[in-house]
Amino acid sequence: MGFSSINMYTGGIFGLLYSAGPVAKVVVAILLVFSIISWTIMLLKLKQFSKTEKEGERFIKTIREIDSFKRLVTVYRGNPDNSFYRLMLSSYKEITTRQKENPEIKPETIPHVENILKITITEESERLERKLSFLATTANTAPFIGLFGTVWGIMDSFREIGIRGTTSLAVVAPGISEALIATAIGLATAIPAVLAYNYFIGRLKRILSKMENASIYILNILGK
Amino acid sequence: MREETWYKMLIVSTILHFFFIGMFSIPIKKASRRIDLSSSYSVNLVGDMGGVFKGQQENGLSEGRDLPVKQGPVTKKERLPAKRKNAPVRKEKEAVSLSKHKILEKETTTKEELSRLEERIREIKKKTNYFDITQAKRTGGSSSGLRPGVSGSGLPVSSGGGARPLDPVSQKYILDVWEKIKDTWGLPGITSSKQPLETVVTIKIRKDGRIVDINIEKRSGNRIYDESILRALRTVELSPIPASLNTDMIEIGFRFLPGDVS
Repeated sequence: MGFSSINMYTGGIFGLLYSAGPVAKVVVAILLVFSIISWTIMLLKLKQFSKTEKEGERFIKTIREIDSFKRLVTVYRGNPDNSFYRLMLSSYKEITTRQKENPEIKPETIPHVENILKITITEESERLERKLSFLATTANTAPFIGLFGTVWGIMDSFREIGIRGTTSLAVVAPGISEALIATAIGLATAIPAVLAYNYFIGRLKRILSKMENASIYILNILGK
Repeated sequence: MREETWYKMLIVSTILHFFFIGMFSIPIKKASRRIDLSSSYSVNLVGDMGGVFKGQQENGLSEGRDLPVKQGPVTKKERLPAKRKNAPVRKEKEAVSLSKHKILEKETTTKEELSRLEERIREIKKKTNYFDITQAKRTGGSSSGLRPGVSGSGLPVSSGGGARPLDPVSQKYILDVWEKIKDTWGLPGITSSKQPLETVVTIKIRKDGRIVDINIEKRSGNRIYDESILRALRTVELSPIPASLNTDMIEIGFRFLPGDVS
């Protein structure tokens, strides 16, 4: 099919877009960029969250079986790019800086470690939450951006009716059809973003509660 | 998060998008047939030469109807009220066609709809001077030297200035217009369709030769075919209406058949 022969009846979505006005084209382009970025974030977060959750389960399983912190550090060699490993690492650093080479963990160190664990959990939560806000933004704004394109297109259609002086469907329908595609794409962008955002927020809560559990386990081991 | 993962996912996401857009473009193409206007909304103004129109042609059709044509230069603002005046006329056309469709396509319209439409036709006939454009066509067609009923001839019909029989000047002008449109009209390469393609379009030509209104009265059912006609009508450059016709606006109906272009 030659480029010139594309029209709204034959070219499917491409045809509709091709015959749409410039505003609709810009709107659709913006929505497409939003959609691509939000899907990128979804894929990234899916990978990141799955990995973190798996590591968390492994970490808690390991920590239950081990009775000393030193052994935990030596036995558990996780990926440095892992939230649970960082949890352990931060407490370990805190202990070593406070007690130097002293092998015995003093009871007064424990509140400091507890604070450090809290800080680490907050940091990790912030790290995991990063870019999720874009999904929320997409979910909230994409329908409105689409709606803007539609309203503009329908305005054009009505002007066309005025100019041609006819209200026949043949005159009105193509314009409205072109206009509505903006809303359709807006919704197609927003719906996955909403679903993904809620899903990831739920998953994030689970991960954070696991991290809190892990920090309690660490404190328990330190108290032994 | 590592940068390379980010890029990788971005590429994956982009590919996914193009894949889905490509997939969605196929069903829409097929479903677009359903958007086709129902036959009761299309107007068969200058359709068949015989058959359906016989009854109406035998009726007394000498009553004239003057198009409300605005005098003086037609600016965009001024044109709008003029269009509004046209509205009843348009309704009449539509209604006439609806009654035809009653005969043609009983299966598509319900009885209830028909009775309502008939009532409307009667109402409109009362309000306006009833005029059947096919009468003008018959007169114009036979006297212009064109073989009437020639297959593929999109005989033009004029209602400019009322129902008076077409004088040679306007006949010549209309034929000239038709020739120009035919020259501009390029048939799309999809004419292997099984159904006979016939599109009826009425255009309004302003004094200076500009087409100010294009109305598809009957669709062929093939959108590409219809589009090609509309494209031709949008691009064609017509000569101004001869001054001797003494009219500001002329309305002509054309029947486009694939045989017109060869």
